[in-house]
Amino acid sequence: MTAIPLTPSEAAEPAFTGRSAWRLFWERFKEDRAALFAAAIIALLVFIAIAGGPIAQRVTGHSNTTAYTQTMEDAFGIPKGPNSQFWFGADGAGRDLFVRTMYGARTSLEVGVVASGIAVLIGLVVGLVAGYFRGWADTVLSRFADVMLAIPQLLIAIGIVAACSTTKTGCLHGLIQPGLGIVIGVIAFFSWSIIARIVRGFTLSIRERDFVEAARSLGASNTRIIFREILPNLIGPIIVYTTLLIPQSILFEAALSYLGLGVPPDTASWGGLLNQAAQYYDVAWWLMLFPGLFLVITVLAFNLLGDGLRDALDVRADR
Amino acid sequence: MNRPLRRLALAGAVVLIGAAILVAAGSAGQAKNQIARGGTLNVGWEQSFGFTDNFDPTGEYLGDAFGIMDNLLVRTLVGYNHTPGADGNKIVPDIASSWKISNGGKTYTFHLKSGIKFGPPVNRAVTSKDFVTAFERLAKPADGAEYAFYYSVIKGFDEYGKGKAKTIAGISTPNDSTIVFNLKAPAGDFLYRVSMPATGPQPAEVTKCFEGKAGQYGRDLVSTAGYMIAGMDKVDISSCSALKPASGFDGQTVMDLVRNPNYDQSTDPTRKNYPDEVKFTVDASADDIYNKIEAGQLDLATSSIPPQVLRKYATNSSLKSHFFQNSGDRTWYITMNLTQPPFDDVHVRRAMNWIMDKAALVQGWGGPTIGAVANHIVPDTLFNFKLQGFKPYKTPGDHGSVAKAKAAMKGSKYDTANNGMCSDPKCHGVLLLADTRAVDTKMLPVIEADAKKIGITFTVRTINGAYPTIQTPSKNIPIAERPGWGKDFADPVTFFSPLFDGRTIIPKGNTNYSLVGITPAQCKKLGVTGDCSPYDAKTGLGVPSVDAQLDKCEALVNTEASDARTVCYEGLDRYLSTQVVPWVPYLWSYVTRITSNNVTHYQFDQFSTTPAYSQIAVK
Repeated sequence: MTAIPLTPSEAAEPAFTGRSAWRLFWERFKEDRAALFAAAIIALLVFIAIAGGPIAQRVTGHSNTTAYTQTMEDAFGIPKGPNSQFWFGADGAGRDLFVRTMYGARTSLEVGVVASGIAVLIGLVVGLVAGYFRGWADTVLSRFADVMLAIPQLLIAIGIVAACSTTKTGCLHGLIQPGLGIVIGVIAFFSWSIIARIVRGFTLSIRERDFVEAARSLGASNTRIIFREILPNLIGPIIVYTTLLIPQSILFEAALSYLGLGVPPDTASWGGLLNQAAQYYDVAWWLMLFPGLFLVITVLAFNLLGDGLRDALDVRADR
Repeated sequence: MNRPLRRLALAGAVVLIGAAILVAAGSAGQAKNQIARGGTLNVGWEQSFGFTDNFDPTGEYLGDAFGIMDNLLVRTLVGYNHTPGADGNKIVPDIASSWKISNGGKTYTFHLKSGIKFGPPVNRAVTSKDFVTAFERLAKPADGAEYAFYYSVIKGFDEYGKGKAKTIAGISTPNDSTIVFNLKAPAGDFLYRVSMPATGPQPAEVTKCFEGKAGQYGRDLVSTAGYMIAGMDKVDISSCSALKPASGFDGQTVMDLVRNPNYDQSTDPTRKNYPDEVKFTVDASADDIYNKIEAGQLDLATSSIPPQVLRKYATNSSLKSHFFQNSGDRTWYITMNLTQPPFDDVHVRRAMNWIMDKAALVQGWGGPTIGAVANHIVPDTLFNFKLQGFKPYKTPGDHGSVAKAKAAMKGSKYDTANNGMCSDPKCHGVLLLADTRAVDTKMLPVIEADAKKIGITFTVRTINGAYPTIQTPSKNIPIAERPGWGKDFADPVTFFSPLFDGRTIIPKGNTNYSLVGITPAQCKKLGVTGDCSPYDAKTGLGVPSVDAQLDKCEALVNTEASDARTVCYEGLDRYLSTQVVPWVPYLWSYVTRITSNNVTHYQFDQFSTTPAYSQIAVK
């Protein structure tokens, strides 16, 4: 009996299509309802960050920076709560809380995403190099990361404030200036070491796996192994820790604002609004509720998204 | 009962009831007259003591520190009654029993009481030489004096300070109980000047260990009044190396004062010294302080009052007996630097005074309950309300006026479009240094929004504790909303000399923040950038000086016949408010204090505008 060769058309007959890794990811991801919901929320938040502030300003007719002391504060300067004109009530200085919450999304997301992104990038590089190459590179980088973790973050931030906050140009001829840039820089500076340690740990275990050994025996270069074998396996934990880092960064920004190192006082941020909430907690519930709610939703969304992404990307798990 | 008996019974009942009422009234009156002695007065202090020289009496300039020194630790030649109002601003004998003014007001001779001793560990009688020690420390810059300028009028004071003489020629001590001051020129307020804590007697055997070390004597302050720092009796003064700070004051968080065993109450009619112990504790949070006062863990506080606490005590009638308000003799103001654009132009400074919504700024502090809108430099109380009607920048509701501000701006070199707006590039992104108190976060949006209405925008930098920076001329801060100024003593000179005399501008700890009267030579020496050329009335640019007027007013003395001195200072206030315009004053604050249930008697000290700590009784 001769074998019947499969013609291309016959070969294409059965419902069997090759799927790329991205296709696989997408098909898995779209099954995850929670993750899709989270992605939608984040998309909405990004929209708010971009356009929410100006739209809120247009719709309510209240500017982001005007203090409505005569209408929205009582005789003692205590802010008044939500009404038909001020949907979220007034913030600690008599400004429209709804408008400021919308503008706050921009500040908080910018700081959160960019600072975390930079921290993860640095941590990834350092951790990979330390974990893969071992030896003196590992020793130097790991000890450096340990020192970074041991540094008292708030004290250094205070030091930078004291040194660089009192002039218009700041320190180093304008390189270190109070504002969004320095906040992102300081947060990234103190956050990368945690990522580096995690990445290093994962790298150490991955590099001992069979498929890495196989690739090495086939003559793959270090670069190829790092980018083709190790990095894809790191994406899962990286995503999880990035999504954990984002809300942490947003809150770090709030603490820095309190010290005077942060965004200018008239720029809104959820952290700054929550600081005011602490001052008026017993008389102004709206100050805590609305920015807090947005922060909770943002944190939840990033976490759910992170979970979903990790599940969909995880090459080991069979779901 | 038959009628006569009933009448008797009725009469008897009336007598009995009347007697009962009389007895009750009598015992209540007796209870009121007998104020309880003993107990511990616990005082909370917000965030940090904030001392300007670590409680070293030679340099310490914080008004709240004066309250502690004056009432509890430091007696001076002359002092006060530690009461509110005009009575509390009157000079009365303290260590000096009497004094004589002669030689046309240029010689002051004081006779000291006997029986005044230093507290532990010095334990000896105070002599006239101990006052010389204090003045010598005041004269030497290395010992950190911050109001030495008050004593330059003493012959030889400045020469001694510069090292050109071995003693201060103008102070002599013919015997242990007499001290004579010879002045270069008459000074109508000299008695007030020797009521300041820095002039209190100091034991040279202790202060010699702190020579040249400004700010370090505070933790070993030797008392002459009713209390002493706890642990002073254990301090070893046998040698400077053995001398350690007293345990009761750690410099940062706690100051514990106990009774001074060497104090003779019979020599001191003005201090009552009711509590056995007075303890000051720093607390990071104003909210926590007032919670503790309500719970009785603290009795009193030196602290800002959260608006909701203010509202509670001001509106709840059952809490009124714990809510005290007195005249603060203090102006809170926005300071503008006359050397930095755009505030080097008087048109801009006037416009700033017209545009500011002062009512909103006061609201940020807690509203009308906390104080009145300020209309000029000196609080009306110090001029006996003679300048009450002087409101050069008054607007409806004190909300500011865009029209008036623009009219004032017209003609300025910064009004490039000639429309009353500050449109020159130097008007944009002006550095504003802000502090981080709750009131600053509320005032900033108002200040920024109002300035924008006349075209000025700010680059805001915030720092916790802005004073040291504003007090350093080389930092060239154009504008700051932090400052407040309380009188040093009840003479208007204290609202002018330290604030507007160009000759006393110092590189650090300077209090003439606006740099009124600064010269180009001084600017170069102090590192001040910007234009320091003298004022040009045609353009409105440049730095005006009021030094000549200051000297003129200072030499005048009020007599029975004329208030020449006060009138002179009133004129100076008018001139400064309308022609020099270094400030935007916005608030004349009351001193509002809230007490716990433990406090049975509260009193206010008008001199220091603080509670009169030794006259406060606790259960």
